[in-house]
Amino acid sequence: SPTGDSWGIFTFLCAALCNLPALPALNCSEELGAGQSIQQTYDLTRYLEHQLRTLAGTYLNYLGPPFNEPDFNPPRLARAERVPSATVDLDLWRGLTDNARLAANYRAYSRLLCYLRVLDGQVGTAELRHRLAHFCASLQGLVLSIGGVMSSLGYPLPAGPAGPSAPPGAPAAPNDFLKKMDDFWLLKELQTWLWRSAKDFNRLKKKVPPAVVTLRLEARGF
Amino acid sequence: DSHIQYERVGADVTMKCGSMDWDAAVTWTANGTDIDESHLNGSYLILKNVDLSQSGQYSCYEGSSWHLKYQTSLRVGTPPKEPLLMCRSNNYPKGFYCSWHLPTPTYIPNSFNISVIHGTKDMVCEKDTIPKNRCHIRYLQLFSTVKYKVTLTVTNALGKNFTTLTFDEFAIVKPDPPESVVAKPVPNNPRRLEVSWQNPSSWPDPESFPLKFFLRYRPLILDQWQHVELSDGTSHTITDAYAGKEYIIQVAAKDNDIGTWSDWSVAVHATPWTEEPKHLTTEAQITETTSASTSSFMAPPTTKICDKGAVVGSGAMAVCWTAGLVVAAYSVLFI
Repeated sequence: SPTGDSWGIFTFLCAALCNLPALPALNCSEELGAGQSIQQTYDLTRYLEHQLRTLAGTYLNYLGPPFNEPDFNPPRLARAERVPSATVDLDLWRGLTDNARLAANYRAYSRLLCYLRVLDGQVGTAELRHRLAHFCASLQGLVLSIGGVMSSLGYPLPAGPAGPSAPPGAPAAPNDFLKKMDDFWLLKELQTWLWRSAKDFNRLKKKVPPAVVTLRLEARGF
Repeated sequence: DSHIQYERVGADVTMKCGSMDWDAAVTWTANGTDIDESHLNGSYLILKNVDLSQSGQYSCYEGSSWHLKYQTSLRVGTPPKEPLLMCRSNNYPKGFYCSWHLPTPTYIPNSFNISVIHGTKDMVCEKDTIPKNRCHIRYLQLFSTVKYKVTLTVTNALGKNFTTLTFDEFAIVKPDPPESVVAKPVPNNPRRLEVSWQNPSSWPDPESFPLKFFLRYRPLILDQWQHVELSDGTSHTITDAYAGKEYIIQVAAKDNDIGTWSDWSVAVHATPWTEEPKHLTTEAQITETTSASTSSFMAPPTTKICDKGAVVGSGAMAVCWTAGLVVAAYSVLFI
């Protein structure tokens, strides 16, 4: 809905303004209740999910058929899993501790961000590069936001960007078609993670009280 | 022995009298009624271009002895058209159900077979007893990137047909409408209506998978709906209702993040609170009755209105009278 979009953009801008200055070493002392930053992170995932819809549409069209066909449903090829999948057993997901839940999100988006940045370096059209760059910036904000929540709750950040710095352990695709397949699945995983994160943060919202706690948001060496 | 024979509408049907020779003398009956010899070719019964009304019990009797030689139940029908299949998750994240039906009847028995494939895995869709033509599946995993492919095949004696649906886990989420919608007037508030409802009982986990709601309302006399979207809570107070008008109100639900809106709930009707209807009299009658002791008029309400306004003084009477007229005029308009 249009009102939803404006809200999402507004929230993201706020989040960005709060978080991005933390990139260069900055002690941004904000009064962020843990509950408030969870809400912020939740709103960010919604905004990103919306942004991704447009980005994915453009990118899949760039890849061309069959990738941009709505009922394209390829089998998962037996290539090394590049990104931790959002797919999880229902009871396992329910039983995740807050720390584990947040860490899973943090790790996933950190890696997804890396892969997307690689994509950014490769794509052909200026429009796509622009969209990708914008999306990466937003995704960066999300990673920072999740990091902020973890810190405010006293959880250690997962050893970061573990293993794959750029492009990760998985072997490079042997041909153009398989490369496109990889891109297709990357976008699919990203989309699924954003859907899952909305649910993850819903659960966290209920469990963490919205009490206001004063924190110092410190740079985390990104 | 008895047979069942299925034939297509419009087909030509030839029935043989069991093992009787072609030139044997026989009598055919349809549902107990003798069939005219003109339909016979020797001992064979010929039915051309059959229609649905010709379904029934056909019996063949030997000419002289009236022994029953052959009996068959003719069922005229059609092969199945492509079935209509719908899959929906109204109980996310537990699973989903699929339901189906034929667009046109076949008039003969049909059997349905449903298969669900998730990636490389075959899943079992458990058939429901009630309603028929429905089955349900439990999710084993949540947040899957792989689509589900559901194929429904319908078969009958005259042919078969099928249809396929492919979808993502998130795409089919659609809750049932909210339940127990109640709308009540708010005492002493002529423009308010208090609406409350409950989460649909089929939604298993509103804590982790919260629902958001959409409320629509309009006075019965207007066609235009007003809408309110509510991101949490199961109640809302309408504050801009037209005084004294009966309203129709409905609520719909949606998972906060994924899927589509439910159908509208059952409609409820409510009218905002209004003051007790008053007997309106003119000022002239009031001045008359104040001195008359045998008057049967009730305490004139116009004085009450003036009391509210706390108008005091010699000008008060004139103002009261005008106020009374205005109120009377409005009342007439709205009756």
